[in-house]
Amino acid sequence: MGRTFIILFLCVLGLYAGLELTLQRHRPGTTVRLRWATDDNPARREQIAAFNALHPGVELTIDLGDYNKRIVQCATRTGPDILDIYSIGDMVTYVQAGILEDLTPYADSLGFGIDKTYPAIAGALSLGSGKDMRQYRFPCNVWADCVIYNKRVFDELGIPYPVAGWTYDDFIVTAKSIRERSRGTVLALANSGVGANVWLYKDLLMGHGGRFFAPDGLTSRFGSEQSLAAARLYYEMMHVHHILATPSEAAALSSQGGWGAGGFSWFCGGKAAMVIAGRWFSVVVRNYPGLAQEIAAVILPRVGDLPSAGMVDARAAGVNRLSPHQKEAFAFLRYLASQEYADGIAADGDALPPLSGLYTTGEQLSAVNAVKSPEFHQAFIDAMVNARPIDYSPFMDAGPTERWIKERLDAIDNINPRQPQTTSEEIMKGLGREVDRQIQINIERRPELRRSYREIAGREWSPDDSRSGR
Amino acid sequence: MTDLPSRRVRAARRGRPKGRSIMRFAVLCCIGFGIAIPFVWMMATSFKTRADADSPGFRIMPSRISVDNYPVILNARPDPGTGKKLDLDFGRWYLNSIFYASAICLLQVLTSAMAAYAFSRIKWRGRDTVFLLYLSTMMIPGAVLMIPTFGIMAGLGLVDTYHGLVIPAAFTAFGTFLLRQFMLSIPSSLDEAATIDGANHWTIFWTIIMPLSRPGLVALAIVTFMAEYKSLFWPLIMTQSSQLFTLPVGMLSLTLPTSSTAYAQQTELIMAATVMNIAPMIIVFVIFQKLMVKGLQMGAVKG
Repeated sequence: MGRTFIILFLCVLGLYAGLELTLQRHRPGTTVRLRWATDDNPARREQIAAFNALHPGVELTIDLGDYNKRIVQCATRTGPDILDIYSIGDMVTYVQAGILEDLTPYADSLGFGIDKTYPAIAGALSLGSGKDMRQYRFPCNVWADCVIYNKRVFDELGIPYPVAGWTYDDFIVTAKSIRERSRGTVLALANSGVGANVWLYKDLLMGHGGRFFAPDGLTSRFGSEQSLAAARLYYEMMHVHHILATPSEAAALSSQGGWGAGGFSWFCGGKAAMVIAGRWFSVVVRNYPGLAQEIAAVILPRVGDLPSAGMVDARAAGVNRLSPHQKEAFAFLRYLASQEYADGIAADGDALPPLSGLYTTGEQLSAVNAVKSPEFHQAFIDAMVNARPIDYSPFMDAGPTERWIKERLDAIDNINPRQPQTTSEEIMKGLGREVDRQIQINIERRPELRRSYREIAGREWSPDDSRSGR
Repeated sequence: MTDLPSRRVRAARRGRPKGRSIMRFAVLCCIGFGIAIPFVWMMATSFKTRADADSPGFRIMPSRISVDNYPVILNARPDPGTGKKLDLDFGRWYLNSIFYASAICLLQVLTSAMAAYAFSRIKWRGRDTVFLLYLSTMMIPGAVLMIPTFGIMAGLGLVDTYHGLVIPAAFTAFGTFLLRQFMLSIPSSLDEAATIDGANHWTIFWTIIMPLSRPGLVALAIVTFMAEYKSLFWPLIMTQSSQLFTLPVGMLSLTLPTSSTAYAQQTELIMAATVMNIAPMIIVFVIFQKLMVKGLQMGAVKG
């Protein structure tokens, strides 16, 4: 027994010694180690290498992790210096938790102000409006959704390509044709993974001219005509026209390796005809020989006489308020606003570069990207014209809002069209009531929200307001 | 003399109709087949080419066996699709995982055995109360303890170090409980005889109790090794450098939800990585499964 323990102990000790001796440690005092909370992939490594080459005294490294890790790190004041924030909802959550630095005093003078990027995305990088607008992040990339379709699949099924200016009625007709002519062997629209219904609903809502909250943030707009119409269209696409993957199909697609991987694999393999995604989709093209020549893109369908519009958002970097290396972190944001970084994004295909003035045509993007069709890239530039970011209310936490939206859309997914117990409209109206109730609860419980309420409404909040919903 | 249970089993078998046995066997085969299919698909896909993995229709077996995916994951060969190496430290992650699981396994077995000895063989005031308190820590969800534990490690400067990974996991109430139950089944007359001969507690513990507790120790070691080998959350939050990643954390590079990863679409590479990931666990389980079950059972049977 003793001998066994000693042998095992020595083996583990030997392994430990080998691992420690071969570990390349960062030596404090030699360089500043900057931790960037982002995902790990070949493109990110190239960007890091380029930044480190430009800043010899700084060592930028990836701090891989998920939201749970960020919560634990930030709760113990050991969070990364730079955080990639993938949506405006996440940004609101981080700001409300006091994690993100307000970049407004530094952005213009250091060269990463909102004016450097697309006007459409400004609302997703900041909170407040007018003089009260505070910038909290700068984009690593910017994206608005388009419909990407496989020309080969369309040719095989004898279906005409979609054309810019098409409507959702045209989209439904096209999708049904795909389903019928392929006899169900080809998905009309590939599901882009868990939460795909939320992304689609947001695009539909923007297309209908809707919004999440009233401009003053005191009430929600989930019960508005636009929101109900968007929800109804979503319901009909799934349960009436059968052109969206069902929940069980979506779950099967989602389980194949990461977000969107299943649906994207189906599309790239020619088993789905269309997918709604941003220009970042072209990153995966390099893994499928021949796919670059097969795909094309068109802006989202429009609703009635309204212009085509979808959601715009950005993977954008914010700085940790408690970072001991803020100067170096700001240097990184300046790098994001540089020509060199923009060139890399344009070539890589990871959505659109953050600088709006550099790549303004499809020809410029196609010249450097694997997808050589200028029209493909032009669609994403055109999509930025009318795209809008999702709005949030300072009186309602973004996390619960997103969660409740997901729950309601899942409920719409699970409506049995043969014996419907409820309707999509009722579900969304219920969401509106729940959010409005929570807003009143938040105002009642938080003194800072009561102050904000006083500034907006011009009077003190009272319990009567919760009963009247105002 | 034959065991009573074995005689009864044989007698029961003699009386059982053959048809029912065949039916039972068939049902179990179907269930086993259904459980095995995903693993078979996973292994087969790890030997597929990119085109084969993405081809339409459902096919388990590759049309052409390719062994290229494994060297690509191990960074020995470039990815055929991009022409570039993946530049992942997969080999080091493997060693990190084995070290992490082995070190914690060793420490947990030692500390749990010593604690179990104190709780089972030594009479001292408040022993049972302290044991209950110790046991009650098992009721606290790990997620609740994560932030304060991480905060302590950060305060000690142990974040992103091997020590920080191993030390907090070196003690376990479950292991103490398991071994205590096991040690309670060892007659105390052995301790008394050893005490009469002049042995102290350490001698009794190390030369008498530990050898007799071997099945329980082995069971705990296997369970701990398997649990820590696949542990994700603690290594994820404690590590920042990719050199310290364990395999589950490193696999996130291949599968972390993101809009711009180039790895998530490469099913055949992910499957190759997954096969290499789980191979040690399967080997450990196959070799030691009887010992593990025996050890877990013996602790529950009063002698």
